[in-house]
Amino acid sequence: MSERRTIPSALAGSSLTGSQHMEYRPVAVMPDVRVVKIGGQSIMDRGREALFPILDEVIEARKQGIQVVLLLGGGTRARHIYTIASELDMPTGVIATLGKYIPMQNARMVQMLLAKHGGLYILPDDFEKLPLYLQLGCIPVMSGMPPFGYWEKHEEGSRIPPHRTDAGVFLSCEFLGAKRAIFIKDEDGLYTDDPKKNPSATHIPRITAKELMARDLPDVVVERVVVEYLPRARWCKELQIVNGLKPGQVLAALRGEDVGTIISA
Amino acid sequence: MTKLVVGDGRTHIQSQLMRESLQDRAVLSKTDSARDLQIFPDVSMVSIGGQSIFDRGKDAILPLVAELAQVKKHHKIVIGVGGGTRVRHTVSIAMDLGLPTGGIAQLVGAMEELNAILLNALLAPHGSMPMQRDHFWDLPLYFDAGITPIAISVPPFHFWEPPPLEGAVPMHGSDFGMFQMAEVLGMKQAIYVKDEDGLYTKDPKHHKDAKLISKITLQELLTQMPAENILDEELYRTWAEAKNVKRVVIVNGLKPGQLTRALAGEDVGTVITKDVP
Repeated sequence: MSERRTIPSALAGSSLTGSQHMEYRPVAVMPDVRVVKIGGQSIMDRGREALFPILDEVIEARKQGIQVVLLLGGGTRARHIYTIASELDMPTGVIATLGKYIPMQNARMVQMLLAKHGGLYILPDDFEKLPLYLQLGCIPVMSGMPPFGYWEKHEEGSRIPPHRTDAGVFLSCEFLGAKRAIFIKDEDGLYTDDPKKNPSATHIPRITAKELMARDLPDVVVERVVVEYLPRARWCKELQIVNGLKPGQVLAALRGEDVGTIISA
Repeated sequence: MTKLVVGDGRTHIQSQLMRESLQDRAVLSKTDSARDLQIFPDVSMVSIGGQSIFDRGKDAILPLVAELAQVKKHHKIVIGVGGGTRVRHTVSIAMDLGLPTGGIAQLVGAMEELNAILLNALLAPHGSMPMQRDHFWDLPLYFDAGITPIAISVPPFHFWEPPPLEGAVPMHGSDFGMFQMAEVLGMKQAIYVKDEDGLYTKDPKHHKDAKLISKITLQELLTQMPAENILDEELYRTWAEAKNVKRVVIVNGLKPGQLTRALAGEDVGTVITKDVP
């Protein structure tokens, strides 16, 4: 019987799992880019009143030379399709595929609004063209949903895909090698409980991922996988959650100021 | 009649998840059930090893293609292939260059695809076609026409590959990708065609005292996982949380007839089972 014909390399014969005893000095791809999420339920579903002032601040930041990539969340239409698909016992991978469409709609809406300021709708694989778009002064806009689709894994005790648009923003930031992912929501950040339901919930300005996990809160402001991944990240070591309904917060965050809540690795 | 709900500044469509935080465990648990819809329960997934089969060249590939040409007449199968030594070479260069994990994940799929093209060229006269990424809804048409689809085995995580548990090598390779395809489509079983009789207690290529594990449950396996595993560990981790796949078989593709027996439901090679409701 013929032998395996192997190309000699540091990993030849390796199972490609776990740490590989290979020196690894990571290179940041585009460390100066601000990777920013605009929430679906929190911002887009509020319409013009909430969105327009945020876009004005993004345009202002772009004029100041700050490179911004916008990623969009889903919102209530995503929840609606998740509800119906869950009733039908759809596998998580099917639900994750359904979940791609609404953030895409929202990204297209934002692109139309930003077109005259260089808004550009891009697809996941267009990261390789970002250097050109950003040098031209454009504001790339894309869906925040990671492209896992049918390959999204089921998570114990839930049919909802664990990687949604928060995860997409974090993973985009991590790939691009930027230090902080910015999430524009309709709250000042992290609270001890859902402030929309519990008026005695208090604000947390800064917390580590470890502290956050130790609290084991029944509810958190960003997707749990992001908090889980943060300590393992090479580049994206901070998540900043800002209130897009408060004027000036978005621009401050884009300028690198510590507003809202910062969750660090 | 669908109702739009306003009043908190946002416009909601009425649904069970309306206004709810999708991070809230109590909310999430309401969405789950013991089983998922089984979309293609009479289909088996067949994954052919890159290092174990394709890197050996003609002598290993042609007899296996002849066997596939026979079994495809009697069984509905989706085939996927691994990338083998070229994947390892790609990753070792990319690691040396310091490329991010997501960048490495974006690169590797091209190497599996080369083996998929070879397999298609050999199997096409017997009825095979490359299946586009997630064109699963074409599968009934493929099977009705006697065409065996050859799928893209590496999952589309690409630039979004999550940070690995250890190191920087992407965790989601072709073993995982093919498993997940079987899982999401509710397939009958996943068969991995390798160059060993199955899973051993140690790597049989380096240890003479390695023992073949012929039958084991996933639950048992997770408590005594061999350090050198013929399948990606991520597959087992994913399977533990999964709901559909009941049976994973590892067979020796260098021994003619093993794949045929596995497809017929015989216990051959290593059979790993999971109790599902």
